[in-house]
Amino acid sequence: MEQFFQQVTNGLAVGSIYALIALGYTMVYGVLRLINFAHGDLFTYGAYLGMTLLTSFLLHDHLGLALALVVLAVMVMGLVAVIGVILERAAYRPLRESPRLSAVVSALGASIFLQNALMLVYGARYQVYPDVLPQTTVSFLGQQMPVMRLAVVLVSVTIMAALYLFVQKTKVGTAIRAAAIDQGAARLMGIDVNKVVTIVFVIGPALGGGAGLLVGLYYGQISFTMGWIYGMKAFTAAILGGIGNIPGAMVGGLLLGVVEALGAAYLSIAWKDAFAFLVLILILIVRPSGLLGERVAEKV
Amino acid sequence: MTKPMRLAVAMSLLAFGSARAADTVKIGLMAPMTGSWASEGQEMKRNVELLAAEQNARGGLLGKQIEVVLEDDGGDPRTAALAAQRLTTRGVVAVIGTYGSAVTEATQNILDEAGVIQVANGSTAVRLTEKGLKHFFRTCPRDDEQGRVGAATLEKLKAKKVALLHDSSAYSKGLADEIAAILKKRNIPIAFFDALTPKEQDYSAILTRLKAAGPDVVFFTGYYPEAGLLLKQKKQMGWKVPFIGGDAINNPDLVKIAGKDAAAGFQFLSPPVPKDLDTPEAKAYVASYQKKYGEAPSSIYGVLAGDGFRVVAKAIEATKSTDADKLRAYLVGQLKDFPGFTGKIAFNDKGDRVGELYRVYAVDAAGNFVLQK
Repeated sequence: MEQFFQQVTNGLAVGSIYALIALGYTMVYGVLRLINFAHGDLFTYGAYLGMTLLTSFLLHDHLGLALALVVLAVMVMGLVAVIGVILERAAYRPLRESPRLSAVVSALGASIFLQNALMLVYGARYQVYPDVLPQTTVSFLGQQMPVMRLAVVLVSVTIMAALYLFVQKTKVGTAIRAAAIDQGAARLMGIDVNKVVTIVFVIGPALGGGAGLLVGLYYGQISFTMGWIYGMKAFTAAILGGIGNIPGAMVGGLLLGVVEALGAAYLSIAWKDAFAFLVLILILIVRPSGLLGERVAEKV
Repeated sequence: MTKPMRLAVAMSLLAFGSARAADTVKIGLMAPMTGSWASEGQEMKRNVELLAAEQNARGGLLGKQIEVVLEDDGGDPRTAALAAQRLTTRGVVAVIGTYGSAVTEATQNILDEAGVIQVANGSTAVRLTEKGLKHFFRTCPRDDEQGRVGAATLEKLKAKKVALLHDSSAYSKGLADEIAAILKKRNIPIAFFDALTPKEQDYSAILTRLKAAGPDVVFFTGYYPEAGLLLKQKKQMGWKVPFIGGDAINNPDLVKIAGKDAAAGFQFLSPPVPKDLDTPEAKAYVASYQKKYGEAPSSIYGVLAGDGFRVVAKAIEATKSTDADKLRAYLVGQLKDFPGFTGKIAFNDKGDRVGELYRVYAVDAAGNFVLQK
């Protein structure tokens, strides 16, 4: 039983990272019906930018740890959002009216470009974050647990809750939801759809970049190819929860993390990933639109 | 251009090419200059170029200067196969390299069929020398030797329950299997045998499961990036069981990734690192390397590439020939107790190096790798 609780918390920590990245996939898909394959690389950019800013400005020496992390998060999320907006302008907007396949190919190309550009700038070796976080552990439900693991989960859940409220309660959020339901009708209602798309490409990459920063700070070691594996998992999480659905991405991410951890605990570790994808297939057989996805009639 | 003219141009180009080739003795170097093992490749290049320059200062080989022909294998089998093909078309008499076993395997047949001697420097997988290739040698040891030393180390620690963790790669799984087979013969129970997925970052689920299996000691046969994360996350969990690793963990980046606190006490197997090479030749060489590059060699695999270069040079000098079959006959039959930087070198008829090379190292509190007696 002790192992069970331990594994559930292990899974929640990884799962909350998956969920943060999955939000970027799901929001873009919701509005544009496009799988943004470069999203995993934006996550990697967050991790690398965080490392560069942290080591070059030594923020934690000047500002104190807590304030430094807030400033760092704002800077990283802002910069990755800028990259996200440029990406949309350069790679996706010119293809908005083209067949969906062209946009997917463009997304894959953008991913390869971003990854290799990063390698040329930083080199191919693993990069390591400076050790700035406290390594203390706390007792939680009878478990010894690193404080930072709880912090990762708390930060992710707070960000996701804030995003949910933003989309449900604000005017801009309403515009995003309207554009997701029907772009044409939204335009007729006086919504600037291009603006909505830009906002989506600010929020999604910012969240992905923030997740990259969290991963860098928490795990310490980053590489230019790390976005691929996280991107795949987050994409799976988005589908699991119902792509296009924001609470679905959160539930999907957390669930995928826990399923992986429990699969590693009680089945084979080597088969952990296979097990996660098996769950995805099973859920899609029972609910083709994902856990929280609504069954929408095909538009004709 | 008319057809005869084109032919004439081609012929003269060909003649020019071969005339140039005769001026120098070309020795190929295949190394991972890019990719995740790029730092190893850089070291290989430095060692071989320094030794070639020294040999040239002494008059070269067979009265000709040595030219080192470098090809990047990218640490990737597909790139390596192309690199090997390019080397064979450039008239090299021997190829030094390369590092990873799977990468070397992709080049073995290409070089062997072209009649080019290959001396690998870091590829320890057993099967590379079990294929009966006439022209393949290696200056590094094999994983079955590593398995024996690993099992002996586990016995020395008086381990009663051992956990073996690998990463499913050819090298890592092979080494774990070797150790498991020996432990079974000695009746030491294996509490855990499984693989992790490399390149992930969160290994807490695996560590939790390992902990539940209750081993006295964990042997991880993978590479240093995962080893660093495992040590770091093990410390975060407050779990104190000792970890041991294989020779792919011998890289200073391990301590960077894990942090000094978490890495301290970790033990791994490796051929001696450069600073522990104790023959007079090796000390003189490390000094001249330091003089040229401003720092001592950091990787033993670079020095092993240097040793590969030196046995090839020795064989060419002794046989006064660059014929691959004559070189092989010399390396297998006549080269005995050659004073290599990494100890005495001789080859058996499989092309494997004779003699024990593995040592046990431990990481101390300051993050240094310390040789265990």
